[in-house]
Amino acid sequence: MITAVRTPESVADAVGHAAAGGRLMGGGTVVMAQVNSGSLGSPEIVSLRRAGLGGIGVDGALARVGATATLTEVEESPELAFLRDAVRSVASPTIRNQATVGGNLFVPQPYGDLAVCLLALDATVEVAGPDGSRGAPVDVVLANGVAPGEVVTAVRLAVPAPGTWFYRKAMRRKLNSAAIVAVAAVVETGGGVVTSARIALGGVAPRPVRAASAERVLIGRPLETDVLDEAGRAARADIAPFDDAYASAWYRTRVLPVHLRRAFLG
Amino acid sequence: MASQVVNLRVNERSREFLAAPGTPLLSSLRDALGLMAAKRGCAQGSCGTCTVLLDGRPVMSCLVAVETVDGASVRTLEGVARGGDLDEVQSAFLEGFATQCGFCTAGMIMTAEALLDRNPDPTRAEVVEAISGNVCRCTGYGPIVDAILDAAARRRKEDAAARRKEDIAARWGTADIAATPGTADAAARRRS
Amino acid sequence: MRYKTNPIDRTYFPDEPAPDFNVIGSVVQRSDALGHVTGRSSFFEDLSPPGLLHLKAHRSTRHHARLATVDTSEALAVPGVVRVLTHADIPNNVFTPLKLIGVQPDDEPVLAEGKVRYLGEPICAVVAETEAAAQEGAARVRVGYEELPAVFDVEEALAEGAPIVNEYHGHNYFTYEGHHCRRIRFGDVEAAFAAADHVFEWRYQSAPIEHAPTETTGCVVVPQPDGRLRIHSDTQACFFTLDNTALILGTPFNRLRIVGGTVGGGFGGKVDVAVEPVACVAAMLTGQPVKYVYSRYEEMQVSSPRAAERIYIKDAVTADGRIIGRKITLYVDAGAYSRHSPYGTTKAAAHLPGPYSIPNVWADCHCVFTNRTPSSAMRGFGVTIGDFALESQMDRIARALGMDPLRLRLRNAYRDGDLKAHRKVAEGTALVEVIQKAAEMVGHELPEEYRRMSSMDGGGR
Repeated sequence: MITAVRTPESVADAVGHAAAGGRLMGGGTVVMAQVNSGSLGSPEIVSLRRAGLGGIGVDGALARVGATATLTEVEESPELAFLRDAVRSVASPTIRNQATVGGNLFVPQPYGDLAVCLLALDATVEVAGPDGSRGAPVDVVLANGVAPGEVVTAVRLAVPAPGTWFYRKAMRRKLNSAAIVAVAAVVETGGGVVTSARIALGGVAPRPVRAASAERVLIGRPLETDVLDEAGRAARADIAPFDDAYASAWYRTRVLPVHLRRAFLG
Repeated sequence: MASQVVNLRVNERSREFLAAPGTPLLSSLRDALGLMAAKRGCAQGSCGTCTVLLDGRPVMSCLVAVETVDGASVRTLEGVARGGDLDEVQSAFLEGFATQCGFCTAGMIMTAEALLDRNPDPTRAEVVEAISGNVCRCTGYGPIVDAILDAAARRRKEDAAARRKEDIAARWGTADIAATPGTADAAARRRS
Repeated sequence: MRYKTNPIDRTYFPDEPAPDFNVIGSVVQRSDALGHVTGRSSFFEDLSPPGLLHLKAHRSTRHHARLATVDTSEALAVPGVVRVLTHADIPNNVFTPLKLIGVQPDDEPVLAEGKVRYLGEPICAVVAETEAAAQEGAARVRVGYEELPAVFDVEEALAEGAPIVNEYHGHNYFTYEGHHCRRIRFGDVEAAFAAADHVFEWRYQSAPIEHAPTETTGCVVVPQPDGRLRIHSDTQACFFTLDNTALILGTPFNRLRIVGGTVGGGFGGKVDVAVEPVACVAAMLTGQPVKYVYSRYEEMQVSSPRAAERIYIKDAVTADGRIIGRKITLYVDAGAYSRHSPYGTTKAAAHLPGPYSIPNVWADCHCVFTNRTPSSAMRGFGVTIGDFALESQMDRIARALGMDPLRLRLRNAYRDGDLKAHRKVAEGTALVEVIQKAAEMVGHELPEEYRRMSSMDGGGR
């Protein structure tokens, strides 16, 4: 049973409550569902709603997205328009009014499509803790979380150059459905061949993963069907798929190359 | 920690009530304020039957810890019907057979209200996306989507009529025309 | 918005009298729609009587197990918990809902007694002042299980040596008038197979299907000053629920009053007597109103789904597409308890061999107990999955013969006057005309011979 919901009005207070053992809550789409089913496992909640962590700031190609900015705010941000299709593939517009960017980092797959994008973007996570603030690479946060008492305050990312951002999500329905396979990528080309590639996958492992094997296949080669198919097959080495109500591990493995190819070629 | 006093502006009235720690907005609306239109269908944010407008945006009220939104403004289906007059969305749902069991209806209408407030002329695809968080197990959605498009058309027509009356009033100073009860008021209220 | 109504098409049956309809053919508003669009329709959970207590079940975490120990002391220690009910608190704990129409034996406990037969079976009911306390209390009931072998497959359940799921039956099938299944025997199918040009046999299997109503199953029971209980419920079957509840409570029917009719989606999923009896007992023992409503998880996991079915169909077919024999073995997975499945299996048998005139029919329809969630009613239960199998079979036969699937159906469609396998004479069939009209509407060309067919001639086969 819940004995307290804290609504701190500063990051320092949020860190204090978190350090005392309170469970952090962004938009509540995960935490409140657990409260309602009696499965939260913590008697105290620390809401970040009033901690001053909202807002999206863009300076040239660099963006800083507050931890409690909602997915709707990202969707409506003109500077982050490249993320619009990805965000619109997450849940429903109603949930996007509530779910936060920071919270999305901690959602288990096959949810958390924005986290997959942030991994492809090689974002930096700003973390405040009892001993001050630090920046952490998003892949480290996705793999290990943050320490008890730490609070994610923002995410920093570089807006990719036009034509270098790719996203595709395969789902059971066209709207409001979790990922069977999600593919997000920043891939640069020069002289007709790939010069750099960061590909992240969702839906195919407990956490978002980099498709490093696929990236290696692509470097130095053109973004063409047979190369992408080869990359997609190689990506099977990078995944740890699971069965759930949306798809089986077998199916996810089977269709991964198809959707990886389609992320680039449509 | 004991229950807290929470203040909300609900359907344009100030309401003050007690909430135990972790109480969802939905439970406060139903149990503390007696507003029963919003329903509990899953308590997981998956069905949309509890949808209300929080500071103008549709939210799943089962997922909002009510202490965290102290001071916010909330609109429920009870605040849409004024007196005996149905608004355009309600009329379109009624006449378009967009209700069957009725359990999703409050959430559907509130989602539609929010959509039309922001987008008075939505495409069919936009309507479908807007209600993608609202589950209906009876209709197959067709009549609901039709009703929301119909409501949008009714509202545009009514707003255009209200604007014409305002123009005439502004040009000729005939305040009594602008004060025609009903439509102009409703349109002005929505734009405010 | 203007609603179009389809005029009655009189082309095919010009001799039928033209009735003077008042409602058919006109647009009539639903009586409850105004309440729905204003939020004023009152669903059972919209009632919030003072002193309301909340009930949550502690459920089995095993598919099949003996209950060695049930310890409720930790649950009772949770602040706000008022009482914990076990089977000993239920006056007539073992029941079966269709006993009202003579179906026996009683085979299902309201709260588990001695053993559990499916995952999620209710063992204890925790009554508390708040929902959170009831939830917490339910989580703190400690149950010691002695695991028993479980069976999840209908054919394995009927095999020699299978674990017995439900001792009240003594075997893993429901007994129909002394028989181990519902049977149809009409003509001689073995002779038909011998005479046929082709014999086709295929197997069909469905999964359980959950109704997923937007409003979960639940009730609020309010004790009245005169000692009666007023039950506010979303049951689809008010009086069926009232009568079963009275039998379980051991009270005269007139000690209960049921208020219902506003159902947030049912589809057949709200005809079991799932929540009312235990909520009534809790209200009687505490003297306070009690609410028992399923969580979404409970609705998905423990409310009855449509039964899974397995169906084998073997057909004797002539070269020109006449089906002269059909042999069907059908298994309905009732799960651990009867509920409505004995009736559903009878419906399945009554529906065979589909709307076709087949001179030789043999069917065995088994209602089988397994350690799966008990299945029950859902829209056309017993019929829908059978139709899926029968019509898939028809399409496959057509494909195998290289024949138009509509012509295969027209050739075999029953006509008025045909004797069906159940020894009933078919009347008002109209299947021939429906196929003809459907073909016309989708632009599927039929030769003159098929367009001239009629359900009104050629009967008596």
